[in-house]
Amino acid sequence: MATVLSGERVLDYCWVGAGALVTQTLALYGAQVIKIESRARPDNLRLSPPAKPGQTGLDVSGYFASRNSGKKSFALNMAHPAARDIAAALARASTIVTSNFRPGVMDRWGLGYADVAAANPAVIYLSMPMQGNDGPHRDYVGFGSTIAAAAGLVHPSGLPGRAPLGTGTHYPDHVPNPGHALVALLSAVYRRVRTGRGAQIELSQFESTVNLVGPALLAGSAGAPPPAPAGNRVPGAAPHGVFPCREPDTWCAIAVGTDAQWAALCTALGRADLLADARLGTLLGRKAHEDRLEEEIAASSRTVEAWALMRRLQDAGVPAAVVATAQDVLADEHLRKRGYWVQQDHPAMGAMTVAGLPFRSDVDEAGPTPAPLLGADTWEIAESVLGMHRAEYERLVAAGVLT
Amino acid sequence: MSPEPLEPLEPLAGVTVVDWTDHTGAYAGRLLADLGADVVRVVPPGGDPAARVGPFVPGADGRPVSTFERFVNLNKRSVALDVAARDGRDVFLRLAGRAQVLLHTAARPTLAALGLGPDELAAANPGLVQVSVRPFGATGPYRDHLADDLVQLAAGGLLSLGGYADTAPIAVAGHQTYLAGSIVAAGAALLGLLGRLHDGRGRAMDVSVQEAIAGALEDAVPTYDLTGRVRRRLGEVPREAGTGTFPCRDGHVAMVAGRLGTAKAWTALVRWMAESGVDGAAELTGPVWEDFRHRQSEPAIARFREVFGAFAATRGKAELYAEAQRRRIALAPVNDVTDLRADAQLAHRGFFVPVDDPVLGATLVYPGRVSLVDGRTTLVHRPAPAPGQHTGEVLAELGVGDEQRTTLVAAGVL
Repeated sequence: MATVLSGERVLDYCWVGAGALVTQTLALYGAQVIKIESRARPDNLRLSPPAKPGQTGLDVSGYFASRNSGKKSFALNMAHPAARDIAAALARASTIVTSNFRPGVMDRWGLGYADVAAANPAVIYLSMPMQGNDGPHRDYVGFGSTIAAAAGLVHPSGLPGRAPLGTGTHYPDHVPNPGHALVALLSAVYRRVRTGRGAQIELSQFESTVNLVGPALLAGSAGAPPPAPAGNRVPGAAPHGVFPCREPDTWCAIAVGTDAQWAALCTALGRADLLADARLGTLLGRKAHEDRLEEEIAASSRTVEAWALMRRLQDAGVPAAVVATAQDVLADEHLRKRGYWVQQDHPAMGAMTVAGLPFRSDVDEAGPTPAPLLGADTWEIAESVLGMHRAEYERLVAAGVLT
Repeated sequence: MSPEPLEPLEPLAGVTVVDWTDHTGAYAGRLLADLGADVVRVVPPGGDPAARVGPFVPGADGRPVSTFERFVNLNKRSVALDVAARDGRDVFLRLAGRAQVLLHTAARPTLAALGLGPDELAAANPGLVQVSVRPFGATGPYRDHLADDLVQLAAGGLLSLGGYADTAPIAVAGHQTYLAGSIVAAGAALLGLLGRLHDGRGRAMDVSVQEAIAGALEDAVPTYDLTGRVRRRLGEVPREAGTGTFPCRDGHVAMVAGRLGTAKAWTALVRWMAESGVDGAAELTGPVWEDFRHRQSEPAIARFREVFGAFAATRGKAELYAEAQRRRIALAPVNDVTDLRADAQLAHRGFFVPVDDPVLGATLVYPGRVSLVDGRTTLVHRPAPAPGQHTGEVLAELGVGDEQRTTLVAAGVL
């Protein structure tokens, strides 16, 4: 079990999407992450599918379980007036406080940065408001998919003449925004360990996502027009696309960047006729005949099973991969050998598989601890962190505070 | 010229990073440089490999300049060095010897052939945090598979969720996997640095871009794992009425109005359309439509598209954005980069920062930050360097004298 962050205690008000992935990484690296939620108002993700057939309730969402591994759950009803003192005490005892609520919510609970830092000046305080803590759009609402659209990620993605697409997911929530937030947060931890100084970090999810179109923004500022949707085609490679394989709705991505790769592709597909066609021997020629080129490659790829095609092309030195579904990535021999998937025994859901961290360390190993049941750790935290007596705990449970 | 003084409390002040990555890892060093690390980019004498990735704009001499390379190299210093030459390798080892972090994208056999394998680097600098960024990671059966952005999106699974239902899967634009793998690598580098503070040891971190992407499949993995259902691409028509991308008068808007249990935004949207006198709006009201199970049915999705389509066709995306948000409906314009430059929120927050670019010989406008740390509004410390711009300066810091340097230049190492 990784112990790199074992000195860190995180008071975690990150719900649903991006924030939960930040604090999950902290937990898997040894931090004690105390997730605050309550039966009065659970993290919405606990109510989201999927669940195993026949399982219901607040503890069986696979979506929730996939981004809350290793955390502690502390049931605290923030709507109850008595909750604030408990939250403030937890904040005093924490080294990190995180949230991804709208601006003002934490302040109303007495948990704004100024409040927390007054009692705990070395705290590292991360907030992840959608559009930032100030400005005319500070109260705007959105989801990952609308942030992606506003930030410019959707517009250039798709086929010419059809609706723009983006990733088809709430992508900013999954890699860029939690990733950018984690980098800022860990940098501040590094500084605090060396200097004792705390930090306030504000990650506007909109601004963070705009960085993903940074290269196009720079080009625009130098006079280039906004990039137009071009499907899977790119200027410097052909063929460059997704080609059908033998079974229904199976596909292989193929990226031919050099003339040598083109020759290798033709040979691997048994297409001496294409190889002999001088017009297709250069990138410029292949770009000029890209429609026909793609039809010819598809005619050949359609006769081959997708994984066999990928192996054949990789063996020949052509960049290629099966367009993997979730089923495929779970079965992927490479990911399994690398230990990417983590088998968990969840106390309510039973056996399940979740994604591990997207890197390995030769020293630190992240643990397989499953996501917590709602409120599973309330007593343990109340006693060990707050020094609460059992009678007081039971009184607060009965009063609807710790629930 | 020595590096411009950073504020003394910049989070990563005093951290030296050697950035020997190609396009797949270059944004990692950028993120660390933003936060105050001294990031020394090592590029081969032929030029920066990240400059092979577009978009391109014409430079002062008419040759194309990659703004991808300009973007990922902001705030770095640049050293031109032939690491494959024996003398170049020696200089590289001196550089890595005084660094805390090495970021690289080379395959293990390549590193071994150069005498720069993980053990050799650890011997030269036991505290070094070595971060490898590879399309499929440094180990495993596909470790040497070839990939570009499209292939990485496919292998990680995200491509299977993108595209129209009636076409092949379609990739998100903008080389997102190069950025995603780099973002993960920057986090891994920092966990390595913290580990080093914790136990005094260096570390080898093995980042896989495929895994970075496989972490972005939202509910698709648990859905298959728990129910056996395989999620597939749906294009602009997702699973629920009120959600999706819709044409309007001057482009498109994206919307999530009511999602699963929450009917509030759905009700607000229907009221808005009804107040505007849209035909069919009244038909979408009532308890049946407030139940997400109905909104997830195909006839509901199709009928909603017709009604909302007629409503949006006469309205612009800016107007729809403002009014929807006033009514607390999660709608946003599908912006292009020109729209972003005009966004009122970004303007208010001083997000864009002009930088005089030494390679282009003109001003480039950057997104000014990834996050706000200690209230600093900009993370721009210095322009992206010309390749090799700091070779002399960095070699002097390593104690390589002028004479030795002249020899190395003559030998083509520098």
